[in-house]
Amino acid sequence: ARPGGAGMATAAFERRVLRRAAEHHYLRVRLELPDGGARPNAAQFKQLVVTALRELHGEVGAALPVDVLTYEEKTLSAILRVISSGLVKLWSALTLLGFYQNKRCAFRVLQTSPFLLALSGNSRELVLD
Amino acid sequence: HAALSRRYVLCEVVSEDPRCRQCIEDRAVGLAVRDAIARVHGDYGLACCSISFTVKYLNAYTGTVLLRCRKDSYRLLCSALPFVRYLDSRAQRYPCFLNTLHVGGTIRTCQKFLIQYNRTQLLRLLQNCTNDEERQCIQKSLLSCSLTEEQSQSGEEEEDDGTE
Repeated sequence: ARPGGAGMATAAFERRVLRRAAEHHYLRVRLELPDGGARPNAAQFKQLVVTALRELHGEVGAALPVDVLTYEEKTLSAILRVISSGLVKLWSALTLLGFYQNKRCAFRVLQTSPFLLALSGNSRELVLD
Repeated sequence: HAALSRRYVLCEVVSEDPRCRQCIEDRAVGLAVRDAIARVHGDYGLACCSISFTVKYLNAYTGTVLLRCRKDSYRLLCSALPFVRYLDSRAQRYPCFLNTLHVGGTIRTCQKFLIQYNRTQLLRLLQNCTNDEERQCIQKSLLSCSLTEEQSQSGEEEEDDGTE
């Protein structure tokens, strides 16, 4: 706490810094299928994420609590939620996933944040008129 | 020197089938453990634990196995050991499980533990003898052990310490 100057009746100022206090991390990802092919629906998308975790991190990785909060089949983009301790495992598993139904695929991570609200805006795609 | 730290995991193979003993060889056990790590921890876990992974010592009669791995990945190894369910050897498969006895930093600490453990196991076997013939057998081997011990351990005193 940082008290006000001597003799002045100022309000006390207190700063609290919480490090790594967030329970979950949120990722906005997009699946790219350059060779075309069938587009996964929401359940198949979740299955793909869990498969990626299982390949790289085994049964322990596949048991990681991952949720698909939103999914758009048209753009193949989704918002994933994962427990904070599992962020590295999830991100590395998505990075190293190469195939979906024998066709090449790639996960692009567009945004990540411990706050879901932060994913609503993206300064990279900001258009200034 | 400390940069290349390793951990030595001492475990025993427990099986209901006595024929499982013939499967206890370094290649079969090594493959079974690596397969379990691959299933439980995936490609990353397998690669992590495979650095410096080897079966250092095996005893098919007692089922004792000593595994070596890097210090950074011994937790991955230890957590995967309960998932070994059978051993494959020469087209034979027998169900078994691995019981972790001790994790040590050097072979010497594991050896010390094993000597102590074997002593208590022998005494336990003696107590659980069902007939007199077995009892005689075990007593004979217990006494012969104490006689052939080299260095400072004088057999008789140590036996008394080891009673349960």
